[in-house]
Amino acid sequence: MHKGKGMKFVGDSRISAERKPNKSKDYSEYPGRTEAFWPNFLLKEWLAGSVFLVGFLCLTLAHPSPLEGMADPTDASYIPLPDWYFLFLYELLKYDFASGPYVLLGMLVIPGVAFGGLFLAPFLDKGPGRRPHQRPIAVGMMLLAVTSVFWLTYESAAGVDYEERAEANQPIPPSEQADIDTESEGYAIYENNCMSCHGDDLSGGSAGPPLTGIDRSAEEIADIAVNGIGTMPTDQFTGSDEELQQLADFIVSVNEDQSE
Amino acid sequence: MLQKIYDWIDERVDITPLWRDLADHEVPEHVNPAHHFSAFVYCFGGLTFFVVVIQILSGMFLTMYYVPDIENAWRSVYYLQTEVAHGQIVRGMHHWGASVVVVMLLLHTLRVFFQGAYKKPRELNWMVGVLLFFVVLGLGFTGYLLPWDNKAYFATEVGLNIAADVPLIGDELKTLLAGDEEIVGAQTLTRFFAIHVFFLPAALFALLGVHFILIRKQGISGPL
Amino acid sequence: MSEDKQPVSRRQFLNYTLTGVGGFMAAGIMISPLRMAIDPVLQQGEGESDFTNVQLAEEDITNVPQRVDWEIEQVDGWYESTVSQTAWVYKDDNGDIVALSPICTHLGCVVSWEGSEDHPERFYCPCHDGLYYKDGVNVEGTPPTAPLPVYEHKIENGMLFLGNSQSREEA
Repeated sequence: MHKGKGMKFVGDSRISAERKPNKSKDYSEYPGRTEAFWPNFLLKEWLAGSVFLVGFLCLTLAHPSPLEGMADPTDASYIPLPDWYFLFLYELLKYDFASGPYVLLGMLVIPGVAFGGLFLAPFLDKGPGRRPHQRPIAVGMMLLAVTSVFWLTYESAAGVDYEERAEANQPIPPSEQADIDTESEGYAIYENNCMSCHGDDLSGGSAGPPLTGIDRSAEEIADIAVNGIGTMPTDQFTGSDEELQQLADFIVSVNEDQSE
Repeated sequence: MLQKIYDWIDERVDITPLWRDLADHEVPEHVNPAHHFSAFVYCFGGLTFFVVVIQILSGMFLTMYYVPDIENAWRSVYYLQTEVAHGQIVRGMHHWGASVVVVMLLLHTLRVFFQGAYKKPRELNWMVGVLLFFVVLGLGFTGYLLPWDNKAYFATEVGLNIAADVPLIGDELKTLLAGDEEIVGAQTLTRFFAIHVFFLPAALFALLGVHFILIRKQGISGPL
Repeated sequence: MSEDKQPVSRRQFLNYTLTGVGGFMAAGIMISPLRMAIDPVLQQGEGESDFTNVQLAEEDITNVPQRVDWEIEQVDGWYESTVSQTAWVYKDDNGDIVALSPICTHLGCVVSWEGSEDHPERFYCPCHDGLYYKDGVNVEGTPPTAPLPVYEHKIENGMLFLGNSQSREEA
């Protein structure tokens, strides 16, 4: 940089009046086949990026982003599952040595040591050698950590039927969400006889399917309530015939509301 | 024409040194997959950044339709997915992008680790990188809640209960995150939204800036 | 770049290709978000207007404007709500029904028939003293520059139904 007397500026600014040539460097003196970032290397990088982008867009087009039903904090039957990249922590907490009285071990100590070790790796692995075989302890511990994370993730995910989960938690379009008259007599009977399995808004629950969007007459519904269907046992309904009729009419009316 | 505009700006701001510095920084042979195919492992960092850019852009556009409110959050996402042209795709980009960032970040971290590239003088940059890893995981965790569907709600509840088990400050930590001692609800959603959209991205930008400046100052680690 | 004397140097070629590839990536990333962002502009406007029974019998409509309030279901994206609407309804000299929107064409305040004692037989806007004749045409020299919009209307079973309001050109 030119300094001191004789320096010329643009106006009263501190921008040098001398223009530097906008020329690229000469790379012939660099070792090997070093090349310029712009445009030589960036072009290759962006070509790779384009291929990556096409693959990525194909993924998003082929798999629409999932959306389950609107959050219902009262849905006691829902089994929570974190996103896949937290599964290993989730699974870790299931082990005996990491839960109950040892929960701190599983929650703070083990992840703390692992991530702390990762964070401080440059100070734990101070030898000059960079090749993996020159630092067997660091590499070994990393391999162990990676294997355990993979194993825990696999263990956690293997037992999950993602398709079934998605199937059981379809979003209900707002327009089809039935208005349920919770003041009606029919709802009171529903509450006593059916709600524990079919949910407080007829949307289904742990043991029973939704009762909305069904195509059955009041007689059929009354019959199912008494005699059961599929895995539903008989004699779920306990009450008078009059109540049975009210119940069936109520469920039919909800379905009619919904299909409007 | 372009040259004239360039000269006009250059005369006033002197951008040539900055531009030459950026354009001319050397790319050594050993990181260039065109010369050694195995050098593709050096691409993971760049690809991570690329997906982060996709996340930022798609996220900016998603907020045009999203409201962080428990009554309307799910409805707005459902509306976006079903009624708005390409809404499904943009949300898909953001959803899958989140997973791809984590995968790429993992590969990048493993590359740096197994090459021992974090050794002196690059200790600081490694630590900045690990912090970036945490920020990205935090973005994943807070973003998961935002659609306010069952999956989001219950996973977040589990996460908050884990936070509550931390000794001494557990309950306070949970309240701080959830906005309420008991309820995971309206106040939790707005908090997670603020963290996801403003706080963590701010941290991400700052750390990314440091990460890149350090790479430029120190240069890419040499061949093994 | 400009120093090169050849028609297209290797460097220029690389730069052009780089711009092309960059453009491709930008397009790939941005096309869906942009299409999503401009979607409201491309949405088809409401076709047929929905007529609502405003609970006013035809025989009750006089030649003095009377205020009618009714409610419509408004769907705003994911948000559905009930919005109240107001109209001033009367029969003109030919016996035709006129339903005027009360939204002032000046700055959107709400006008009312004979809303000011100083201006009988006029629609009056309290915000800037805008005035309209009985047929909804703005009075020259007052702030509004266009007539009040009219509602589409029809009579079914002796009841008045009102649809969308339509703005009118300057008279």
